[in-house]
Amino acid sequence: MERGVFLYSAPVQLASTIRGQSYRFASVKEVLAKANPPKSGDDLAGISARDAVERVAARAVLANLTLRELRENPVVPYEQDELTRLVEDELDDQAYRAVAHLTVGQFREWLLDIDTTGPTLRAVSPGLTPEMAAAASKLMSNFDLMTVGAKCQVVVRANNTLGLPGRLSSRCQPNHPTDDVQGILASAREGLSYGCGDAVIGINPATDTAESTAEILKVIDDLLKRNECPTQHCVLSHVTVQMRALELGCPMDLMFQSVAGTEAANKAFGISAALLQEGYELINAKGTAKGPNRMYFETGQGSALSSAAHHGADQVTIEARAYGLARRYKPFLVNTVVGFIGPEYLEDGPQISRAALEDHFMGKLLGLPMGCDACFTYHAKMTQDELESLKVLLGAAGCTYLMSLPVGDDIMLNYQSTSYHDIPTLRRLLGKRPTPEFDAWLDAKGIWRGDGPGPKFGDVEAVR
Amino acid sequence: MDALRDELGSSDPLPPVPAMPPIPAPPARVYSPRPERSAFAAQAAHHTTALVGIGHVGTRYATDVVLQFQAELAVAHAAVGAELPEGWAADNGFVGVCSRVTSHREFLLRPDLGRRLSDTSLETVRSRCDKNVDVQIIVADGLSAVACMQTGKALHDAVVRACSARGLKTGTPIAARFARVWLEDEIGQEVNAKVAMILLGERPGLGTGDGLSAYVVYAPKLGNTDGDRNMISNIHLRGIIPDDAAERLAALASAMIEQRSSGVTLDLGRLGEVSGGRGYRAPQVRQRLVAGGEPT
Repeated sequence: MERGVFLYSAPVQLASTIRGQSYRFASVKEVLAKANPPKSGDDLAGISARDAVERVAARAVLANLTLRELRENPVVPYEQDELTRLVEDELDDQAYRAVAHLTVGQFREWLLDIDTTGPTLRAVSPGLTPEMAAAASKLMSNFDLMTVGAKCQVVVRANNTLGLPGRLSSRCQPNHPTDDVQGILASAREGLSYGCGDAVIGINPATDTAESTAEILKVIDDLLKRNECPTQHCVLSHVTVQMRALELGCPMDLMFQSVAGTEAANKAFGISAALLQEGYELINAKGTAKGPNRMYFETGQGSALSSAAHHGADQVTIEARAYGLARRYKPFLVNTVVGFIGPEYLEDGPQISRAALEDHFMGKLLGLPMGCDACFTYHAKMTQDELESLKVLLGAAGCTYLMSLPVGDDIMLNYQSTSYHDIPTLRRLLGKRPTPEFDAWLDAKGIWRGDGPGPKFGDVEAVR
Repeated sequence: MDALRDELGSSDPLPPVPAMPPIPAPPARVYSPRPERSAFAAQAAHHTTALVGIGHVGTRYATDVVLQFQAELAVAHAAVGAELPEGWAADNGFVGVCSRVTSHREFLLRPDLGRRLSDTSLETVRSRCDKNVDVQIIVADGLSAVACMQTGKALHDAVVRACSARGLKTGTPIAARFARVWLEDEIGQEVNAKVAMILLGERPGLGTGDGLSAYVVYAPKLGNTDGDRNMISNIHLRGIIPDDAAERLAALASAMIEQRSSGVTLDLGRLGEVSGGRGYRAPQVRQRLVAGGEPT
């Protein structure tokens, strides 16, 4: 009966007892929501546990559910959502069968076991649904999330080889409030001179037009060619705009889109699986990166609720579902923009940090080259020190890449992220290196030598 | 274990503290862009306010940069934390209203409550505000009461003048506390306005907190979404100056009334020059916030 997951649905046990008090839950979805660590977004949605004891009761129920039961009870029904259908229809059955019998509690222990290695996790990954990754995260502490996250190895290639052990990469993000290309160029050169940008030179445009996208891409393409710099470029306009720009004829290494975890939330973004497939095929045909990986996705907890498209499910589970969609397109980059959405979804430093580690763990477990925009907006309750600590946690957890901007300040989007100075600092602290191709380029330019700054470190004249 | 201890030299005394080396003062490093000090910074300053060309100490920032950064962060946080005083509306000729939010923390965590009027304020709107107007303007705190207090009144008055010049009747001036964008729907619906326009403080950026955004909607009513609205952001002296913004906003309101729609369905092409676009923008200057004791 392995194939017939929808042919039967055995009643699942949804009750637990703590100190004589019994707790009952109406659905797997409710158990998943109430098992979540505190998040202001789940409170806003009215689905979180009413207190810490009920939260543990939900976790006790969750620990005894099997992965098979999670597959049979997706948080958005098969009939109502194309993401559920895609995950269900495309799941690797052999990989699924290897772990289907485990309870979530056993699954957590199996993930943490020293004998469960990175290659094993990579092999099982195509058999996991997003709900399984989310469920495991709810039984894990920050250290658990980091331990498993660090084990997962997801290696991808475009012009660079990203995700190898002992590497920490960065997106250089030279945004400008009016897309002044000279301003963008100045910031990009500065970033490269600090050893940033091996994941991508990625610009969020102020103007979402094909012409503007093409104009920025040409300038960055010239910069990379002039300096023979091995990295990728991307302008993060809407996927339809990038498709038009490609058809106008412009260099484009990676194609970007923001994605969310339900069909309805993606509709609010103006996308569908069919549209992403179109973009994916176009960038594979006309993209300028060597490949084979050429897509770039951004996600973030809370985005579905912000368009009332969460189907009563918690924001961690919905976030995992976005990864379930992203993995279809073999992306080169995926990152959660964890603190950008605001305090109504992630209130403070502890919530933002927790969400970053959850997202990194879930993304890696589902087979993605997961990075993170560790950041806060100025109305969230997070300090600069907390943000710096989070970057160390992410680096230690094997996060594939972080962002990088001048002093971490995005002068267009008005939020605080990782700085050009933070990336070399983290590499020194954690003994990490950039991608091998970029490392060799930095060495040749005298910007970074071995494990420390070279003679041209921070010297923008080294990048013409 | 003994062999390991021997290997570690455990029987030898611990090495003495090294002799004190001379510690010269490092060269002065200053906050940039300082065009007079670096050709790159000079060139970049014409094009961006991004903090490039600031140098480094090891892999970190110079002390001067740290202080400037902390000052900018403090300005942003102060703008978010500020509250619009209850008397501000009356003192400036507005009818004061408040959303259902009762505290600043609740304002940040419950956008749903910030989108609806409190019972008292609903009564206020019903009893004190003109009905059946063309454009109902609301100034509001949003995420920066500082911006609202600085530019809110001037922008409001400029929009009233621009609307009058186009023959549009504006409603009773309203100022709202703890307000989110969608509050304009309920207020506009209550006064039966053709167009509602809320001018509110934007989420501050580093070192700034003085920007206003304007959101405009045709046929305001509860249930409208973001797709039904048009907006203009960055209204402040370094961005779109209030008088220019007022012209554009009045033009938007006219177009909405003429086309009987707003948001994604509004044909902006018919707005012409006045709706703005990517015109010339003077070089932006990042203010130096930390003065005194500046290295030379």
